[in-house]
Amino acid sequence: MTRSEEGEVRFEKVRKAFGTAVAVRELDLAIRGGEFVSLLGPSGCGKTTTLRMLAGLEFPTSGTISIGGRVVNEVAPGARDVAMVFQSYALYPHMTVAENIAYPLKKRGVARLEREARVRQVAETLQLSALLPRKPRQLSGGQQQRVALGRALVRDPRVFLLDEPLSNLDAKLRAHMRSELIELHRRVGRTFVYVTHDQLEAMTMSDRIAVMHEGVLQQFGTPGEVYNQPANLFVAAFIGAPAMNLLRGRAAEGGFTHPTVRLGFAGAAPGAGRDLVLGLRPEDVTLGTGPFAARVRLVEPTGHEQIAQLDIEGGDTLTIRADAEAPLTAGETLRWGVRAPRLHLFDATTGNRLEAAVMMPQAAAASG
Amino acid sequence: MSARGDPAVSGRVDPSGVTAADRAAVNPLDRGYALLGVLLIAPTVLIFCAVIVYPLVSALYLSLFTIFTPTLSGNFVGLRNYAELAGSHEFWRSLLNNLIWTLMTLSLQIVLGVAAALMLNQAIFMRSLARSLILFPYFVSTVVAVLVWRWLFNDLYGVLNHFLMWAGLLDMPLDWLGTMPNAMVSVVLVGAWKYFPFVVIAVLARLQTIPEQLYEAATIDGAGAWGRFWDVTLPQLRDVLVVVVLLRAIWDFKEFDLIYLLTGGGPIIGTQTLPLMVYKEAFGMNEMGRASAVAVAMMLVMLVFMLAYFRVLRARGEEPR
Amino acid sequence: MRKLAGRLAFNLFAWTIVLVTAFPLVWMVITSVKPQFELFRIPPTFWPEQITFEHYARLLWDTPFLLYMRNSLVLSTATTLLVVAVATLGAHSLVRFRYRGRERLAQLVLFTYLLPSVVLILPLYLMMVWLGVANSLLSLVIAYTTFALPYALWLLRSFMQGIPDDLENAALVDGATRMGAFFDVILPQALPGIISTSLFTFILSWNEYLYALVLVNTDEARPLTTGVMNMLISAFNIEWSLLMAASVMMSIPLIIIFAFLQKFLTRGFGAGGVKG
Repeated sequence: MTRSEEGEVRFEKVRKAFGTAVAVRELDLAIRGGEFVSLLGPSGCGKTTTLRMLAGLEFPTSGTISIGGRVVNEVAPGARDVAMVFQSYALYPHMTVAENIAYPLKKRGVARLEREARVRQVAETLQLSALLPRKPRQLSGGQQQRVALGRALVRDPRVFLLDEPLSNLDAKLRAHMRSELIELHRRVGRTFVYVTHDQLEAMTMSDRIAVMHEGVLQQFGTPGEVYNQPANLFVAAFIGAPAMNLLRGRAAEGGFTHPTVRLGFAGAAPGAGRDLVLGLRPEDVTLGTGPFAARVRLVEPTGHEQIAQLDIEGGDTLTIRADAEAPLTAGETLRWGVRAPRLHLFDATTGNRLEAAVMMPQAAAASG
Repeated sequence: MSARGDPAVSGRVDPSGVTAADRAAVNPLDRGYALLGVLLIAPTVLIFCAVIVYPLVSALYLSLFTIFTPTLSGNFVGLRNYAELAGSHEFWRSLLNNLIWTLMTLSLQIVLGVAAALMLNQAIFMRSLARSLILFPYFVSTVVAVLVWRWLFNDLYGVLNHFLMWAGLLDMPLDWLGTMPNAMVSVVLVGAWKYFPFVVIAVLARLQTIPEQLYEAATIDGAGAWGRFWDVTLPQLRDVLVVVVLLRAIWDFKEFDLIYLLTGGGPIIGTQTLPLMVYKEAFGMNEMGRASAVAVAMMLVMLVFMLAYFRVLRARGEEPR
Repeated sequence: MRKLAGRLAFNLFAWTIVLVTAFPLVWMVITSVKPQFELFRIPPTFWPEQITFEHYARLLWDTPFLLYMRNSLVLSTATTLLVVAVATLGAHSLVRFRYRGRERLAQLVLFTYLLPSVVLILPLYLMMVWLGVANSLLSLVIAYTTFALPYALWLLRSFMQGIPDDLENAALVDGATRMGAFFDVILPQALPGIISTSLFTFILSWNEYLYALVLVNTDEARPLTTGVMNMLISAFNIEWSLLMAASVMMSIPLIIIFAFLQKFLTRGFGAGGVKG
């Protein structure tokens, strides 16, 4: 088996029910060996349960989980050849750093001399050498984090499981650890499954992202895919900050109609009368000229750009991003348009993305 | 299962979605773990059954017999023991004594305990030594406590009488344990002395977690020392006090050693509580059946406190702890 | 200046209370070293005019005190070892395993923790007679589990609930079995709790009176509590100095625990059901 095949992870129809709730519903997910995959979603979406099932800390109610082609449903966590970094780090408080890192080797019967050599090597990689004789409570948060990584790294497992490992670090350290993790992943070339609720982490580190919500996998794709082609309203609203604008309208007269925004379908059009939602990212709004009108409610300059809230007819508010020089003043009215190829259209009933072809903006009859 | 999980009842898609198949699914590893868990608890369960559950059931059973203790031979008499108890002056007197003792000693323990805890929460000289001295009575054997107090209470040479006479509070030595109501007062006092440290430890632990900001805010709002105690400290202590009162009520109610050793329930039955009556019926009167009936009746009274305790814990969203 | 005076007054007041509380125990020690004749002074002397250890000597050589002491030590140690071993496994099971009836069991433990001994004692007495172990230390060890086991379980369960689940999970992923994780990770973490529980169990057993009174009536198996009480009851005229010396000796284990291991006692309190 090649290194890559070893690291393949496959969830097939995996379901997990606890006493009175279903945490994961019929999950199908195939992760390639060596891939960095993030499980992304709000708390309670089932991402941690999914990871814990992969680790063997929870058992699926139905469906199968396999690692490297082997079904592991009934394999004890220690025999799955996975390593896990916990949100709390879960360092053994009564053991030194060296003992912590050596523990997985000890449990696998690795001889003492080799153990020590490998611990030294890992410590060097993670710049922990000076800390080896310390106890975890004598370490800073960032150092504890490294020890937890070291404990995972020392075994060269097929799959690394990381459960929100950065959430207990301060913002600066988090940014630093993000780049270190990317580098680490590249160096070890193993499968990483990374649970997070932070889209920035998922977007920056992952090869692919699995977006989950209420136990259901919403979309599994590259960061570009989930950003540019969100599969449904949940993904559309969840990914991106500030969030995508969602305008409710309906299909009529060969286009999307809304009190302010009217767009013509240029291809296969959804049936007339259907309720639709138009998704518009803040950066895909063009200002100054365009078919639509709006009144500026609020402007928040961030330094390198401005975020503004625009009131449009129909009671909707549009959040937009503009560069720092754009002439935006609260209370003024302005005209705006959209970058047509970057529009998203969803069925309001199912929430699913509609691949209506290019949409051309038209001024609404009612708007001035 | 609640109706919430049933789609037919809720009329919409089952919000939990847990199906019968979900509930039936068991992973062999999980089953192995469960088995190991049962194995680990097995010694406990066996011992519980042998020394607690069986005796408990047995006590109920015994209470339906008349049994002569020395020979352990007996006859089934149904509920006659209970009927006799209901008409027995001694039983009701013991129950009354039991309630008086519990109520009085408990109140004293709480008042003294809270006061001492507040005091020890201040920065006083050699605080940890002071704390140790206060806590010691709780851990000392009841036998030791009783011996010491009987010596203090001694009518001729006891230091207590001499001190009170010296201070002008008494004209002549008092018989602390041999007359009523002195005996009850003495028992209550010694009970309070022995058990108030429990309240001290519990309250002190809670006091140390009250955030300083609350006091600062109250001071800014113009509260004096008394106001701060009344509006900040006491509400913060409420939860812990409810638990302490219930626990201590249960333990005081079933107290045997202290009363038995101090007064033996005397004079006559002046300080006889239900636990003492059980002992007396069983080993003084050799009426083991009747003794069991008293014990069961006592359990029923205690059940009220216990249920209250369970309720408090549950209401707090904690499982019983 | 006023503030200082206030603090001084408060300290004085506080220490008066402390000393009044501690007085009975102080008096016990003082009485134990007074010669017998000095006890009957009127008014009593506070400081002994003459310090003597004759009562301690008499206690050790002329009474069965040492025998009682040995019995108490054996009894308390055996009870503690048995109960803490069983309860550690039981508490681990209650905290970290899932099986039917677990919650019910935890409630039962709490219930028995509050159960009066007096209810159990008659059937237990009959049971010991029937088993033929009445009048032995073994019967007392068995009887003492009735209060010590629920207590130890309850305390240990609280302690173990404080150990994060992730520690055990990490050990499992690292290749340990459930029992391996228990020995490698849970047990070292629970050690302070186990020490607290052991101390409490030991003290409870050391101080127990009722079971000893009912189940044992020979000196061979009599622990200190009933033994010393017997010395009071059987004596024609009560030798208070001797009894006070016995009380002091009886409290020695406690004094040792207080002097060196007090933090374990207060920690046990925090876990032992008085969390509010």
